Amino acid sequence: MEVEKGKTAKYLREKLGGIPEQAKENLKQFNGIKKIMVDALKEQDLTVKQMSEKINMPTDEVMFYLMSLVKYGIVVTGEIDDMDEYYTYKLNK
Amino acid sequence: MENPIRNIAYDALVIGAGIAGGETALNLANTGYKVLLVDRELSVGGKMIMLSKVFPTLDCAACITTPKVSEISRHPNITIFTGSEVSKIRKVSDNEFVALVTKQPRYVHIEDCTACQLCEKACPVNVRDQYQFGLIGRKAAFIPFSICSPKAAAIDIDNCTLCGACEKVCPTNCIDFTMEVETMELHVKTIVVATGFNLFNAEKMPRYGFGKYKNVITAQQMERELAPTRPFNTILRPGDGKVPDKIAYVLCVGSRDASIGNPVCSQICCMYSIKQAQLLMGSLPMADVTIYYINIRSFGKGFEEFYQQAKGMGVNFVKGKIGRISEKENGNLILRYEDINEGKLQEAEHDMVILSTGVLPNTGIDKLFENQKLQLDQFSFIGQSDMLASPAKTSIEGVFVAGTATGPMDIPDSILSAGSASSEAISYLIQHP
Repeated sequence: MEVEKGKTAKYLREKLGGIPEQAKENLKQFNGIKKIMVDALKEQDLTVKQMSEKINMPTDEVMFYLMSLVKYGIVVTGEIDDMDEYYTYKLNK
Repeated sequence: MENPIRNIAYDALVIGAGIAGGETALNLANTGYKVLLVDRELSVGGKMIMLSKVFPTLDCAACITTPKVSEISRHPNITIFTGSEVSKIRKVSDNEFVALVTKQPRYVHIEDCTACQLCEKACPVNVRDQYQFGLIGRKAAFIPFSICSPKAAAIDIDNCTLCGACEKVCPTNCIDFTMEVETMELHVKTIVVATGFNLFNAEKMPRYGFGKYKNVITAQQMERELAPTRPFNTILRPGDGKVPDKIAYVLCVGSRDASIGNPVCSQICCMYSIKQAQLLMGSLPMADVTIYYINIRSFGKGFEEFYQQAKGMGVNFVKGKIGRISEKENGNLILRYEDINEGKLQEAEHDMVILSTGVLPNTGIDKLFENQKLQLDQFSFIGQSDMLASPAKTSIEGVFVAGTATGPMDIPDSILSAGSASSEAISYLIQHP
């Protein structure tokens, strides 16, 4: 079967009979968390701990998602606090 | 679609493209032999390419590895199969082995990919990045790491939503979801096994809390935090993003411990911990770093001086065996240990603990040989049939071993071992044309 270049994802999707459920679930979860974090940062710059309290998520999970958003250029690292312990994070405007 | 089986002939098959396998392949290729280098990872370079610096010189690991990897990748006598595994090997005559190699689809045509990363930007998925040991996320369409070779994207099909966003933005149309698993039957004259080692899974020692307490990490994870291509902007606790200021290393985790089935000394964990302690003191000048050890084994050239240098920099060495680690509400960790010098039980609080995990054999390679027996030693590393005179020889004539597949060793010794293996293989090829 000849598949047009640049449209091969559709071929595999049809071959597998749809999108794998687990991948769909993961994407939905990430998009949800990304939106919550971005909305929280629209209000003010936050540390991991402050974000954790604001969105009610364990600090280690906040750390993972927030650092991923930094990597993707959505969030940037801000200043460190007076105790030189926690950085704040802000939206990359 | 039909699963293609190709018949291809090479002089040598090198299994494992870490520093030992790569060096072996280069030596063979430079002598004029055609080499197939197979690795199950998406990049050549093995564990060394992921390091920050090497001990005891503190040279940049990437600066040493990258030119070598580049030379391997561009050598006309070396063919590289990444994302591939050898599934069966049969010896058919004195100078012929038949190996079955399975190549997993990368869903990217490497030769057309420019590593522009547009697919990465377009991909909406986020999953834990195995090359940063889960500290941060990556996309399902991703470049494994910045100095990987081949420098090309790959699709993580298990986590891909097949949205096609990567294909739409790819300027060279190199993404191809029609790729399938390829199985190849290869005919080779000699084989070098350079399958390296595994690191002990610290979750098997629950008393240290790895996996449960988020500020207990492995030295491999700290290695990434110290590397220029690190996951965070600086050294941070993965539990809450705090800059740590009281850091502890626990040596011999999963090594020199018969109770967990590994009585062997890893040979490298003392020195890599001392290296990391020195680098940490450079990154966080105000931090206190303590190393809990049973014995410091600084046996190599320059190792004792390196150890003394760490002491001089202010690294605190405590001869103590850790019994248990527990977590406080603020994420700090309480280490309960036996102070070996004082003969007392003590407790100490740290805000981050790094477990220096031991070296284990990469098992399963002996099962690949169908009609020959590849002997293992008592610790399940590959047995050396003539350790003193010909350390690369195995129990199968024509099959040689290089690097840490024979047992724990550091990088210079791995390279030396690769030199021995390639010399033996060349000698075998001359005798069995």
